[in-house]
Amino acid sequence: MTPVTGIDFERLTLRDALDLAILIEEEARDRYREFSEQLAAHATPEVADFFTRMARIEDRHRSELLERRQTLFGDAPSTVERTQIFDVEAPGYEQARAFMGVREALETVLASEIKAHAFFDEALPRVKDPELKALFQELRAEEVHHQALVKSELARCPEKPDDGEAYADDPVAQ
Amino acid sequence: MNAFLAPNDYKSPLKPIWCPGCGDYGVVQALYRALSAIGRPPHEIAFISGIGCSSRIPGYTTAYGFNTVHGRALPIAQGVKLANPDLLVVVAGGDGDGFSIGGGHVPHAIRRNVDLTYLVMDNQVYGLTKGQLSPTSPRGLKTVTSPMGSLEQPINPLLTVLAYGAGFVAQATPADMPGMTALIEEALRYPGFSFVNIQSPCVTFGEEEQQLRAHKTRMKSLASLGHDPTNQLAALDLARAYGTELYTGVFYRNPDPPPTYEALVRQRQAELQRGEPRSRARVLDGLSSRGG
Repeated sequence: MTPVTGIDFERLTLRDALDLAILIEEEARDRYREFSEQLAAHATPEVADFFTRMARIEDRHRSELLERRQTLFGDAPSTVERTQIFDVEAPGYEQARAFMGVREALETVLASEIKAHAFFDEALPRVKDPELKALFQELRAEEVHHQALVKSELARCPEKPDDGEAYADDPVAQ
Repeated sequence: MNAFLAPNDYKSPLKPIWCPGCGDYGVVQALYRALSAIGRPPHEIAFISGIGCSSRIPGYTTAYGFNTVHGRALPIAQGVKLANPDLLVVVAGGDGDGFSIGGGHVPHAIRRNVDLTYLVMDNQVYGLTKGQLSPTSPRGLKTVTSPMGSLEQPINPLLTVLAYGAGFVAQATPADMPGMTALIEEALRYPGFSFVNIQSPCVTFGEEEQQLRAHKTRMKSLASLGHDPTNQLAALDLARAYGTELYTGVFYRNPDPPPTYEALVRQRQAELQRGEPRSRARVLDGLSSRGG
């Protein structure tokens, strides 16, 4: 299963690649916003706040790429659409859980950064254009940097205590 | 692909309140994308649902929506389509809504062949009411209404709709978003009754091995098996594996779709309009001459 449909990496231009990278960040931003809303609605405010912060970070990455695209190509129309990408850096919907802890949220983010790294890593051999290759290498390296940041956060985050006994009873029909 | 209608144009401001991790989040995203690919504006689309978690979908779209009563989505959807055949009608619901409470409506919607798409989010449990047995619950499943395990054989939705003669039958999982999006789009484009069984697990009351993480390793695409979707007998054979194998893709697509019910109705109306108008007296004469 490829997270990108209808894109021929061999023919991809630098402009298309920048647009693709912008959409990847946009998708991740939107997913973290959704996760934040889901968890806020399910009494998990601290993780909702965490995902809101993640959404801001992804939005910042998006803005940086957008600025670069604007400088290089102005308002030239994009040939890449959001409908062509599926969860490249965005965590899958199955990753969210009601009452998840910050540690689990960090693990979710780390898995997403690894996934994004794998995407650029797998795409690179198919890319021919040297400028494009450099961009993908740069984006891949950034994912490594992000992983390191998340890992350091994880190291500081305590293990979630075993709360198996937190509920007196299993959920029952009412 | 429509340049003017993006997936978000089909997204309503109402925020879904499904449990985090629910498969239905992926389904609604796939729907937005499929509708964007088709390009019909929201005012030309109607979502009809019954009752249940997945039946909340009409509220999450900008199209017309009718969250009806339990199990009655199909008859209402057929009425909507007949009243306004130009609408793209999509029916959304769960396995309980479709195959238990509303189970009696399924064969009739299929045999009439009204042009609508029926999306069943099959989670094998009644999630909204907190985890009772549903018609597709596997035998042995322990729930609040089967504490020692279910003794019942589950309904096989795929085999059921194929046996009743549905012209388009597919199965999808939110674990494969590109695949599910493409299947929903294909179902929406099929001219006649189309059915997609979406294995959309219940994150709160479902079994661990039924969750999307498990789907990612279990799912097998029918295309990769070399299945010919125009072969109805092969489709029936593959559908028997429901509950043991997680096949995704098109099981059956009628290569020669029969006329839809609404097309036949319009044809009949045209025929009647061409003929001599029947006076009330002639209608009564016709009835009395039948002897009773």
